[in-house]
Amino acid sequence: MREHKIWRLAIAVACLVGVSVLAACGGDDVGGGNNEDIQVAESGPVEGKLTISNWPGYIDPGPNGTVAEFEKKTGVEVDYIDDFTGNTQFFGKLQPQLAEGNSGGRDIIVPSDWMAKKMYDLGYLQEVDHADLQTVFDNILPQFETAAGDPERKFMIPWQGGLTGIWVDTAKAPEIDSISDLFDPKYKGKVTMLDELRDTIPLVLQSEGIDVDTATKEDWLAAIDKIDKAVDSGQIRRLTDNSYTEDLTAGNAVASIGWSGDASLIGRDTVEWRKPTDGCDTFFDQMVIPVGAPNTAAALAFMNFVYQPKVQADIAAYINYVQPVAGVQEILKKRDPKLGNDKLIFPPEEFTAGCSEDPDPPGDVEDVSEVEAAYQDVVSG
Amino acid sequence: MRTIRRRLVPYGLLAPGAIWLLLFFVVPMYYMGEMALRSGALETGGFRFTWEWANFPDALEGRGELITRTFFYTVTATVLALLIAYPLAYAIAIKVSRRWRLLLLFAVIAPFFTTYLVRTIAWKTILADPSPMVDFLKTVGIVPENGRVLATPGAVIAGLTYTFLPFMILPIYASLERIDLSLIEAAKDLYASARQAFLRVTLPLTMPGIVAGVLLTFIPAFGDYVNATVLGGPNQAMIGNKIQSLYLVERDYPEAAAFSFLMMAAVLVMVLIYIRAAGTEAFMGEEDEGR
Repeated sequence: MREHKIWRLAIAVACLVGVSVLAACGGDDVGGGNNEDIQVAESGPVEGKLTISNWPGYIDPGPNGTVAEFEKKTGVEVDYIDDFTGNTQFFGKLQPQLAEGNSGGRDIIVPSDWMAKKMYDLGYLQEVDHADLQTVFDNILPQFETAAGDPERKFMIPWQGGLTGIWVDTAKAPEIDSISDLFDPKYKGKVTMLDELRDTIPLVLQSEGIDVDTATKEDWLAAIDKIDKAVDSGQIRRLTDNSYTEDLTAGNAVASIGWSGDASLIGRDTVEWRKPTDGCDTFFDQMVIPVGAPNTAAALAFMNFVYQPKVQADIAAYINYVQPVAGVQEILKKRDPKLGNDKLIFPPEEFTAGCSEDPDPPGDVEDVSEVEAAYQDVVSG
Repeated sequence: MRTIRRRLVPYGLLAPGAIWLLLFFVVPMYYMGEMALRSGALETGGFRFTWEWANFPDALEGRGELITRTFFYTVTATVLALLIAYPLAYAIAIKVSRRWRLLLLFAVIAPFFTTYLVRTIAWKTILADPSPMVDFLKTVGIVPENGRVLATPGAVIAGLTYTFLPFMILPIYASLERIDLSLIEAAKDLYASARQAFLRVTLPLTMPGIVAGVLLTFIPAFGDYVNATVLGGPNQAMIGNKIQSLYLVERDYPEAAAFSFLMMAAVLVMVLIYIRAAGTEAFMGEEDEGR
């Protein structure tokens, strides 16, 4: 009988020890930034495996596409994943790993500029040495040499950018050409907007005649409230990430706020992108190397590779977004004049003048997260 | 020595399950509980443990509609699943031939060969606004002429019902299949009508299956967020969507953990009340009697 009790006790003690050991393994602080000792991405022999996380439909992944060409030229095996469907979701997924200096095996990720800046400030990105990116800085268009979030291009290298506007199904609603039209009851339940705060809200603000640069937190909250009411009334069908293209493809939506280069994802001739008459917004997505990236040498080589005008011309021809490399327009004009003069790939300055650039909501960190939470409450109930 | 060893046998048998439960339930619960009492923000130095009990009321604040909606969707889907599953299980277990029984059971299980996410996305294609299915529903009059199916409560409830239906069918089938048919014959011999025989004999004997089926449907459906994400719009969001968004988008881990805890507690209470009402015999089976 005694032994019986001893055994029970032993098992109980073992369980307790097990739990506390496991509990102790976890760090005390969760999250929290640290940008005091930022690394510079190491260059070296270009070999091994390269993992890239990018937005859907942002490169030709086929056997004759850009990825395959890079593999053939360098012998690097590329794992190209298009799992970047939204800045906030992707960041939310990866953040716990990044906080521990782990990129989940990724060497290059492609957040929008505001998110890249935020990640850098939290110490989640490596810096790049311009000496390792000769081709990039030889060929970058002058207007991209600096960026508001990174004046010296210490950590972010432009991938592609574009405009946020309206995709319109011209067969069903040819007359839609402004953000205000999206609130017209005629299109009830046939309209979608982006769950990206910095894309959707500035457009709605502009449509009400508010200057985004001077807009207050209250203006942002009022715009969010307007969207909330439109969701409640059934006017807005969904608030989505990059998957808005699916609703256009399936014919569920007649108009969606969306990004100018997504034609290939939508895949329907009757759906065309329009710059709203009452506002516009531009964005640029940036290649960055996260902390803990296993193969920085190959990552740097890939950045150089896509900054060769010929390679970039292939990318531009395939995806139709705004590209950052000099000499590409000349190549495309020769190859296909229609592409070479496409305003969406090579926007003239007056075309994008006055556009907002995915701005943060005004105020300090707490104001920003208040606005973000308010929008998120609309997005997720 | 032998007696000690014999006494250890039950512990040995319990050990794999106990270790599994410890690692994948108790330990995560500990972390979640600890997280639910933290405060701070990612941008301002991370979350620190401060006994922040306010996370719990914060998690519920302004979410009455979300919670009611989740409850309503889940209960409706569970009832629908029961109404569909019982006759189906009855037919499979009692009415059809052996060959058909195997085929039909296979048909019940077959959807599991494809992942649940892919099946839900397939529904999105089937139920798109311009689609033969929706045209048909409009012709029949189930959907109004200018109406739609996707991004409505109906789509989410139908999705939940569809997803968890096999979990309702299988336990009911198992309990129906074990019924000794001579009991029903005996009832009829004693002048019970078919209806009386069903209500007095078949139904009580299958209560354990119904209770198990309801639990297996209700509990996962309550925490589901895939159906609401894929088939619903922003106004069809369920508690699971909010928790996912708190974790992955707003990154308010403490509030997300607190909300998860409250949801688990709510489910636990509802399940306890349900089992209490259904009676423990219905839940555990009646074999214990007379032992």
